[in-house]
Amino acid sequence: MEISGEYHFDAPRSAVWAALLDPDALQAAMPGCERFEETGPDAYDITLRVGISAIKGTYEGTVKVTERSPEDSYRLSVDGGGKPGKVQGTALMQLTEDGGGTRVAYSGDIKAQGAIARLGSRLLGGSAKMLIGQFFKEMDKQVKQRAA
Amino acid sequence: MIPTEFDYKRATSLDEAIQLLSSSSEAKLLAGGHSLIPLMKLRLSEPETLVDIGRIPDIKGIREREGKIGIGAGTTHHEVETSDLLREKAPVVADCAGEIGDPQVRNRGTLGGSLAHADPAADYPAVMLAIDAEFHIKGGNGWRTVKASDFFQDMFTVDLADDEIIVNAMFDPIQSASYAKLHQRASHYAIIGVAAALGVENGLIQWARLGLTGAIGYAVRMPNVEEALIGKQPEQDTIDAAAGIAGDGLEDINSDLHASAEYRRAMIKVFTRRALEGAVARL
Repeated sequence: MEISGEYHFDAPRSAVWAALLDPDALQAAMPGCERFEETGPDAYDITLRVGISAIKGTYEGTVKVTERSPEDSYRLSVDGGGKPGKVQGTALMQLTEDGGGTRVAYSGDIKAQGAIARLGSRLLGGSAKMLIGQFFKEMDKQVKQRAA
Repeated sequence: MIPTEFDYKRATSLDEAIQLLSSSSEAKLLAGGHSLIPLMKLRLSEPETLVDIGRIPDIKGIREREGKIGIGAGTTHHEVETSDLLREKAPVVADCAGEIGDPQVRNRGTLGGSLAHADPAADYPAVMLAIDAEFHIKGGNGWRTVKASDFFQDMFTVDLADDEIIVNAMFDPIQSASYAKLHQRASHYAIIGVAAALGVENGLIQWARLGLTGAIGYAVRMPNVEEALIGKQPEQDTIDAAAGIAGDGLEDINSDLHASAEYRRAMIKVFTRRALEGAVARL
């Protein structure tokens, strides 16, 4: 399933870029992140406890950053599995200047297997958008903390 | 198909249920169970404790008090659908209950369960927004009241703390309101559902409230349609013009294998028109 959207930061492109690719900020922004270990350059093992109300589960997986083009774009890939099934997501993140701030546009693809996929046809898109929203909101805090 | 292990506790009173909720970790309320149990069987939900509130008498029943109608949160869809009081005083609510799911769901599922779960395609939220209902909620810190328009915040996300229970929904009697729904034929979830309520005096629409479900992550009002109706005569031209802008400006429209975002966008207008026609017919 394809997903796309954008988020506006009130911060210069260099600051947003730095935060988006900083392991500490990434860890803080991942919804429900319980474990975050660097396993190589731009590669991390993670445990996420993701929950939207009653739908809550623990997922083990990896996060990878590839196709880095500094202050311009990169590809973020998240891969995870838990009791209800597997989820794979990859998105191209593009940064552009937007007024005094920065617009981050994402476009990518989510694949699900198992129970998540069965439920997914109806709810996967909405859940993904909500979690991405949480990610950007927390990232916004991280950017502001760094500026302060 | 088999849920993970959980503790089961049956509460015999509201206060006992609240106490059980606050003393157990990862506890969930079990009302009718027709949303929660399937999620548990898919292991998408793994509560450690289920607190069964299905046999608490205080949260059941439909009453009229001081000019307001109250429906207990534990009242089943079937009881709402077949209530003579609602048929007479607020027929839109009974209509809506009759459109939910299938007979098994209507015999077990409850108003409070539907509201608290807040599925993006649930029917009740749209109607509760249109009739401007308020929910009476009790928790560890006592009672509070939340308006429907403040209650639904996001997909499966409502203004309800972990130790709180919806006790009832209250609203004024209303005739001129109607619910129009496009069914997903297998599950009977709303692909699009629109509830419309109108107030008319001296031949002109004084107020209008439109509730929309199935379109985005949660049920919302449609203020642009409401504004387009106010001050106009309740006739077909007014309805067509208002329905023609329904959903305009709405972002993040749901898209799934049952209906694309474009199709949903088109159906918002169609079902807004039908809901308004239904409300006008009851004037």
